[in-house]
Amino acid sequence: MLTYALRRILGMLPTLLLISVVCFVVIRLQPGSFIDQYLEDPRVTRETVESITRQLGLDQPAYVQYLTWIKGIVTEGDFGFSFVNGRPVSSLIWERLGWTVFLALLTLLVSWAIAIPLGIYTALNRYGPGATVLNFFGYVSLATPDFLVALLLIALVLNFGGTNVGGLFSPQFIDAPWSLAKFLDLLNHLWIPMIAIGLEGVAGLMRQMRASMLDVINQDYVRTARAKGLAGGRVLWRHAVRNAVNPLISLAGLSLPSLISGTIIASIVLNLPTIGPFLYDSLLNKDQYVAMTLLLFSALLLLVGNLLADLALAWADPRIRFE
Amino acid sequence: MPTRSPLPRLCGLAGLVTLALCGGALAAPKKVTGYGNLGITNGKPGGTYTLALGDSPQSLFYYGVIDNNLGLISQQMFDGLVEFNYATYKVEPALAESWTVSPDGRTYTFRLRQGVKWSDGQAFDADDVVFTYSQIIMNPEARAGDAASFKLDGKQVEVRKVNANTVRFVLPRPSPAFLLQMRSFIMPKHKLLRYSQEGGAKPADINSAWPSNVRESEVVGTGPFRLSNYTAGQKVTLTRNPNYWKVDGRGTKLPYLAGLEFLIIRDPQAQVAQFLAGNLDQLNITGAQFPDLKQREVAGAPFKVFRSTALFGSPPFVAYNFDAKNAALAKVFSDVRFRRAMQQAVNRERIIDTVYNGLASLPGHGVAPINKEWYTNTTRQLGSFNLAAAGEALDAMGIRDTNRDGIRNLPGGGNLEFDLTYGTDSSVYPAIATILQSDFARIGVKVNLRGILSSRLLSTGQSGDWEMILHAFGDQPDPELRKPIWQPGGALYYWHRSLQPAQDGGRPNLTRMAPWEREIYNIFEDAAVTTSASRRKALYTRWQLLFAQNLPVTPIAKPENIGAVSNKFGNYIYNLGVIPGYNPVPLIYQK
Repeated sequence: MLTYALRRILGMLPTLLLISVVCFVVIRLQPGSFIDQYLEDPRVTRETVESITRQLGLDQPAYVQYLTWIKGIVTEGDFGFSFVNGRPVSSLIWERLGWTVFLALLTLLVSWAIAIPLGIYTALNRYGPGATVLNFFGYVSLATPDFLVALLLIALVLNFGGTNVGGLFSPQFIDAPWSLAKFLDLLNHLWIPMIAIGLEGVAGLMRQMRASMLDVINQDYVRTARAKGLAGGRVLWRHAVRNAVNPLISLAGLSLPSLISGTIIASIVLNLPTIGPFLYDSLLNKDQYVAMTLLLFSALLLLVGNLLADLALAWADPRIRFE
Repeated sequence: MPTRSPLPRLCGLAGLVTLALCGGALAAPKKVTGYGNLGITNGKPGGTYTLALGDSPQSLFYYGVIDNNLGLISQQMFDGLVEFNYATYKVEPALAESWTVSPDGRTYTFRLRQGVKWSDGQAFDADDVVFTYSQIIMNPEARAGDAASFKLDGKQVEVRKVNANTVRFVLPRPSPAFLLQMRSFIMPKHKLLRYSQEGGAKPADINSAWPSNVRESEVVGTGPFRLSNYTAGQKVTLTRNPNYWKVDGRGTKLPYLAGLEFLIIRDPQAQVAQFLAGNLDQLNITGAQFPDLKQREVAGAPFKVFRSTALFGSPPFVAYNFDAKNAALAKVFSDVRFRRAMQQAVNRERIIDTVYNGLASLPGHGVAPINKEWYTNTTRQLGSFNLAAAGEALDAMGIRDTNRDGIRNLPGGGNLEFDLTYGTDSSVYPAIATILQSDFARIGVKVNLRGILSSRLLSTGQSGDWEMILHAFGDQPDPELRKPIWQPGGALYYWHRSLQPAQDGGRPNLTRMAPWEREIYNIFEDAAVTTSASRRKALYTRWQLLFAQNLPVTPIAKPENIGAVSNKFGNYIYNLGVIPGYNPVPLIYQK
């Protein structure tokens, strides 16, 4: 297993290198450049534009810019600097990473905790009224974009005279030290993004879980277990669910990159301080090293997520062997 | 001719009185009075005022990045030597208590207000002013500096310290609008020296001063507030600067507010939601959001919606490319008869009514109508919406529909059909573009809409790759400040790019100018060095008339400023945006 993991990790390097080239090319292919915004200001003369171009190294050929960036990463762990903020990219990402990871993990947990039981329930009671209602809501929430749900929730809260209409805290708590009041305020704000972002995930996962449960329930080993007189609950949890959950483990691995790009619009609408809007901005501004680093980071998360999912599968499913 | 407004003398007097009373203290605070007609009353100290910020500031160093959000914050933390009067937009003393201009109009001497302290308690003096201008603003590597304005005819403006309280600027030639440049924010030498050339750094290093993760105590200014906390992506908190140098009519220290908060909210809808929820105390809104908020106000919501005619701001216009790649189109576009004909097909009233919800008025030609000092009434030259007359005028030019396909034909035989480039991500451009397209179609002029990002409009304009464009440039108090836009051959006069000089600062291509363009060119050259105010007024009046008759661009409307403010606060004057030297927040108080 260890050699397998090592082999996979080594295999990521050329893939990432290729992805970085693609990202760079795509960003360069976009029309316009970072310098454009300076043209808008009558204060800025052509000379200033030239000196900024020189300061940022944008006057060098594209391949030199790319190689300098890659060299910085490999030799010094330096991911370049943000044109917009005039600061190293890594420190900017670091500033925003905390809340991003917190929100992503929390929504993931919440949506799993809701989706898996519901998936099992709808599979076991396929034609019952409960399952029908749940399926209906599943379809609706799948079809509704997360930002729309967010807007609806905000309108609802406003109508009832609430003040928790975006962000993670009320203004007075944003830079206050942690306290019970601040924690309660966080909870009061958190439920909106949980519902808006989490709901979409719930519906998808629920359908997935239901489908694989239906697959598994009619398998020979389940019938055998039943025939041997095993208790219903034991058959269900030990044999059926444990096998049905396999595809969801792969799905979980794939959902890691959504840390960065999954919820851009909902984050903007709900004013959440996550990395998504930051990526969106850097693409709009042609802040190339920020955009490239975030895209690369996203790709890395995808690869790592896949690896973790494979390892978790091996642990969960005794049929899978690496050697 | 020495100019000296009466106010500095008054302040000087107040200073002397204070001197006598306090026995040795040198403080000469500026008394902020005379705004009774704007509804300004004496307030009381205390309270926190919360505003919205469209995005995180990219840095905290005003001259390091061009960033509106940073501008809004900087306005509360820094001051210039002079500032605008809130009511008349005339320049009046700020950090400089008084000034004199030499008779030849080339030497400006500023006497600095005494006793002013930086927010960290250090004394402010002439060294800070000289440092700010020589090391930062005139540094060509500073990304948001203003080096070009301090080079006249290729020669550098000199700035010198005369003594601790006097600074002198010597210009290579007279420049009557120079005083307006003195609104630039003054920065603390004791905090920024190590980023400057004087302090041994490279010229470009100045841009890395005060990055967004700087320690809050490093950011020091003379403004009403100082930085107290910055939480990336969420909030910027400012607190009252106890050393601020303004007092109200009764002598109470300004600002009244104890704190000023900016919540970082990117989405305009989210901003409105936060305002309605009471988390924001004031919000600038668009014409589209006006009816909803006004209705709520009328229904008893605890806020008021204000609308005011704007002096600053960007009135949209359409321009035709005199150098269009299609030679036949370029010829038609350069013909003033065509531009006048098409102006009659621009339905300004409808655009004002439907796109701006009636919250806009007819535009001026290069000068906002409310700008009493310079505006010349050109409303008649705007003409009226008349498609039949427009059609006849095109007929008279020989542009008729010769092949009966419903589209007029150019003299060469081709269809009169062109692209209209506009910004898709704007709340007004798409609607205006559609109205223009449908009205033009009714007189046989085919317009194809070509949408791009609004941020790309200027660079597209300057690239020359367009035929007709919908864009907006700002109005400013003095036409001299808009010279690069409106003087033929200027860097931003992009509808006739072939006039632009081969090199920046070189002489434009005078031989290619139309006679009226040559005249406008000369007007701007003359006005730039004319010291007599009445003579300048006459020159700019002539320019506005030439503009209105020849339509280098066709202005469409002048949008109003609309803002909403919570009833908890008093002394609200509409904040006109990021304009150094315009800063009414110190007068706002919590009721």
